[in-house]
Amino acid sequence: MSAEMIQAKPRRIAAVAFVAALAASIALRTSLDRKATKQPAFSPVEYVTSGKTLRQLSFGYQGLLADFYWTRAVQYFGRQKLTGTGDFQELGPLLRITTELDPHLLIAYRFGAIFLAEEPPSGAGQPDAALALIRRGIAANPSYWRLWQDLGFIYYWNLKDYARAASAFEAGSRQPGADVWMKTLAASVAAQGGELETSRQLWSEVFSQASNESIRRSAQEHLAAIKAAEDIGHLDQLLSEFVRREGRPASSVGDLVREGMLPGWPVDPSGVRYELGSGGKAALGAGSKVDLHLAR
Amino acid sequence: MNRIAAIAVHTFKESVRERVLYTLVVFAIVMIGAGLILGGVSVGINQIALVNLGLSAISVFGLLIAVFIGISLVWKEMERRTLYNVLSKPVARAEFILGKFFGLVLTLVVNTAVMTAGFYLVLWYEKGRLTAADVAPLQAIYFILLQLALVVGVALLFSTISGPALSALFTISLYVIGSLLGDLRAFGEQSGSAALRGASYVLSVLLPDFGALADIAPAAHGELLPASRVLAQSLDAMLYGIVLLSATVLIFERRDLR
Repeated sequence: MSAEMIQAKPRRIAAVAFVAALAASIALRTSLDRKATKQPAFSPVEYVTSGKTLRQLSFGYQGLLADFYWTRAVQYFGRQKLTGTGDFQELGPLLRITTELDPHLLIAYRFGAIFLAEEPPSGAGQPDAALALIRRGIAANPSYWRLWQDLGFIYYWNLKDYARAASAFEAGSRQPGADVWMKTLAASVAAQGGELETSRQLWSEVFSQASNESIRRSAQEHLAAIKAAEDIGHLDQLLSEFVRREGRPASSVGDLVREGMLPGWPVDPSGVRYELGSGGKAALGAGSKVDLHLAR
Repeated sequence: MNRIAAIAVHTFKESVRERVLYTLVVFAIVMIGAGLILGGVSVGINQIALVNLGLSAISVFGLLIAVFIGISLVWKEMERRTLYNVLSKPVARAEFILGKFFGLVLTLVVNTAVMTAGFYLVLWYEKGRLTAADVAPLQAIYFILLQLALVVGVALLFSTISGPALSALFTISLYVIGSLLGDLRAFGEQSGSAALRGASYVLSVLLPDFGALADIAPAAHGELLPASRVLAQSLDAMLYGIVLLSATVLIFERRDLR
């Protein structure tokens, strides 16, 4: 056996050992991963529950930790929403830790509050927790008027407390740099809380500011529902007018078209024709993707 | 002065020959680039995450460089017996220590500049342009440099009295304690014991305050710290640097090098 062959032998053994061990390791990990998915999900706030403690232990890197916690909150929200169980237990604590680590991370208050306040299964259905989060945000960032807008939004939309909503919009309008429409909004909410036009104004603002696809889609769904509710209200008026004119109820929405009261068969924002529902009132057609509950 | 500068330049050249230095800088730049991924998987914090991760990487890798090169500076000279050559020339021990300190600080300034360039390149890639508001991270980087200079001072001090392993342990321990001084003082005040309050106060004024120099979060939000704070921290770091260097010189002067 030559010297070269003797030297090459350990190299060959090492190469074989490397490939074999790597393959075995990959197989083992894949098997472990598969088992892990069957176990209960790891609770992201199980071990450290206080943002203040984490802040003390962060050695000045609390901003980075806050980013990680915000990312976990977003991913947790997305994952739980997909499961459709409506279980968002960890969302509040994750958002609290995030904002305790970085009290100026405005996005965590703004989107976090929407995640918390939305009715299940779209959100956690915890408007009180959302209010508490926004109030903490206002305390840490008193001159940021958008947080007052969000506070007013939760009072208006989730709690239907129009008086408090109006006063939140009014307080926000007094902050430096606040858009002028905040004052108008405060007045219209105070005067006509619960009106579809006011709701549209609020959701349009949410839609225009949303940098997150989930929130943008939610705002779009709400705006579609508001539009459909308005259309149905208008159609009901025309149906009453038809009864007055013809002395009989319309047999379908098509009667309004034939009478020239409508230029064409009206469709809802998902493109489905409006139909007549129970009691001769206008309603969404079969197969419509609009959820009218979102309009109220 | 010329002799200190000559030792500093020599230390710098010696430090930049360390392969570990390049590995750490490359790792730091990779970490800074990872900020793009973190921003991508989250919502609405692309730039904040990039600044936080970028500055944290500059700080962490700067600390590693400061500790692992700082602790071996004097020890290596003694091990290789090159120290005796230097000191046989008309070079005072104090000049040797000062030269070593400034040489390593120069190394850290150059490394930090490279990492900062990498950071701004990634930021520019993310934003498409840089604006006046992007100057805020520079202030945080200045604070990081002050922190690193103090860590070098601590590492140098310990490297004159012990070997590299113990020096690293002592330096890292002091860094951890120095990062928690604010809490130490708060615990003392809340304890209700006069002795504990006094002890925590004494420790908080005697030890280096690394926590006060770790202020990355405002930079991530584009906020500049007040000039008075920057001035006060700079002065404090300079004074504490003098304390560390004088203590190192005092110990090194008394050390039996035979």
